[in-house]
Amino acid sequence: MRISGFPPVSAVRENEVKMDFIIQAIVSGTLMGSIYGLAALGLTLIFGVIKVINFAHGSCLMVGMYAAYWVVTLTGVNPYLALIVVVPLLFFFGYFLQDIVIKPVLEAQSDVREPTEVIIVTSGVWYILDNITLMIFGAEYRVVQTSITGKSFEIGEIIVSTPKLYGLIATIIVSVALVWFLKYTKMGKSIRAASLDREAASLMGINQYRVFNIAFGIGTAIMGVVGCVLLPFYYVFPTVGVIFDVKCFIIVVLGGLGSIPGALIGGIIIGLIESVGAQFMASTWTELIVYLVFLAVLFIKPAGLFGEERDW
Amino acid sequence: MTKETLDKILKIVLIVGVFTLPIWINSPTYLQILILLFFYAYLTTSWNLVGGWAGVLPLGHSAYVGIGAYTSTVLFMHYGLSPWIGMLAGGVVAAIVGTIIGIPTLKLRGAYFALATMAFGEGVRVFIENTDKIGPFVLNGPRGICIPLNESFWNFQFMSKVPYYYIILIMLCIALFVTWYMSRIRIGYYLNAGGEEPEAAQALGVNVAKYKVIAMAISCFMTGLAGTFYAQLMLYFYPKAILGLDFSFEIAFIALIGGRGTLAGPVLGALILRPVTDFSRIYFSSILPGLHLVIYGLVLILVMIYQPRGIQEPLNRFYNWILDKVTGNIEKKGVKS
Repeated sequence: MRISGFPPVSAVRENEVKMDFIIQAIVSGTLMGSIYGLAALGLTLIFGVIKVINFAHGSCLMVGMYAAYWVVTLTGVNPYLALIVVVPLLFFFGYFLQDIVIKPVLEAQSDVREPTEVIIVTSGVWYILDNITLMIFGAEYRVVQTSITGKSFEIGEIIVSTPKLYGLIATIIVSVALVWFLKYTKMGKSIRAASLDREAASLMGINQYRVFNIAFGIGTAIMGVVGCVLLPFYYVFPTVGVIFDVKCFIIVVLGGLGSIPGALIGGIIIGLIESVGAQFMASTWTELIVYLVFLAVLFIKPAGLFGEERDW
Repeated sequence: MTKETLDKILKIVLIVGVFTLPIWINSPTYLQILILLFFYAYLTTSWNLVGGWAGVLPLGHSAYVGIGAYTSTVLFMHYGLSPWIGMLAGGVVAAIVGTIIGIPTLKLRGAYFALATMAFGEGVRVFIENTDKIGPFVLNGPRGICIPLNESFWNFQFMSKVPYYYIILIMLCIALFVTWYMSRIRIGYYLNAGGEEPEAAQALGVNVAKYKVIAMAISCFMTGLAGTFYAQLMLYFYPKAILGLDFSFEIAFIALIGGRGTLAGPVLGALILRPVTDFSRIYFSSILPGLHLVIYGLVLILVMIYQPRGIQEPLNRFYNWILDKVTGNIEKKGVKS
């Protein structure tokens, strides 16, 4: 449609516009993808150590988002300041979730490498958390108005959303910190030892269940970070976790279960597919493409981009 | 009277009771609840063939329900083909899709298989929700399909609930018979061995993956039939109702709580959990939405921690204990007199 007063758009100009849109899509896809990657990081850490897919992972994010929501609405602080409260809260939440609910099943199944019973238990946790939240807070979508909601800045023609940029920064900080923790601290070394060989680690005097608790706690604490990062530009509702749950599963399989760089790169790939794909088709169809890519990866290279062959 | 005869009598009474139930129950509401109960029992029994016996965790079985429902309905609306034949067609399509999905994924380990089936199920939902038409076939996207009313046996449409009751009951009996029969022939033993110790079974020369694929195909076929049944029972269905995670998980949960890999487990699971769902939906949905799912989750966790073989085990023990008690007492009385 031509708008009066504007010169007709030439074919060349149209192409330029299209190119700009795609660069814009790549930038916002990378930013959003890095947040997906951060969410998948927690899942991949838990799988790497306990060899269990935590189906309640998205629900932990939901808990983190509600915690951040209430901290921000009740005290009115900046959502990034809420991290101080939310992250330790989520750490202990995950720690005790593993200690009280998952440990008994793990102990009963200690001779199985990948106990399916634990997957089932975590999906039970998922249902309980989501529906208790529904019962307490209702199904409505909540938004919180923070000082940086909707803020953005421009680099050339490209618009960069500030809260998403903070998400990318948070992802970088958390992943560097996590890698440092796993490489150089005693607990990190124990976690890596337990993920390589549980029995040998126990023989070396590592309390494997304590290691599991802490790994699980760190995995959920990361979801606390994601919750705070998402808060300025995302809705909070009881089933918000499901969206991220399914995405995280796809990302970790794409990148290779248990691999930290795999989770980050997988996240960015999914983010890119979603935002670049949305330039060419309805955004609901990009979801289908994500599933197709996921199934294709499972069929062609089940170990994922960075996974270890023995894990599947 | 010995324990065995009492057991037999009780079972015959149960079967006769179940088959004559519509005579005693006139309320269509209760009949509908019973029909859905058997529908779920049938679905979980089909799920159990692969989820229980093959020792993997499929979390996308709603996809096959959807495939069955859409296939038969599209054939009926477009070509006027009787849903009875469409039902078989839907089952065959579901079995073919299940085989295609099963061949590569059943080689994967537990977590990977669960995730793959889950992603497949979600993919089917997204696909159907976004598709209004495939060629000439109308799918109506998220709005779903309303089947035009035309009551006749050939059209699989009945005004009364009673025929539906008997159809699903017979389907359930056939599914149970298939499960029982499969557990008694070679494939059942192979699956059992492959489910528990895939490496050991392979070392003994069992082609575990092949038998798992066969189990998957049979399971998907039966699940596809259930899709047609649901479509004809409700005469209206939409993607959210018969496709998606929640439905897939509910099927798996009922079977797991009941007892995976057992004959009675899925039926007992449906028998105990479905009424919880229905009544909490009727009485608590306005005050506490989602209560029944909290109960599901709690029961699931407790069952997994304390009774990994499902609630059928303690129930079985209780039933045997009752039988012993009753027959014991009767025998003692007999001695006295």
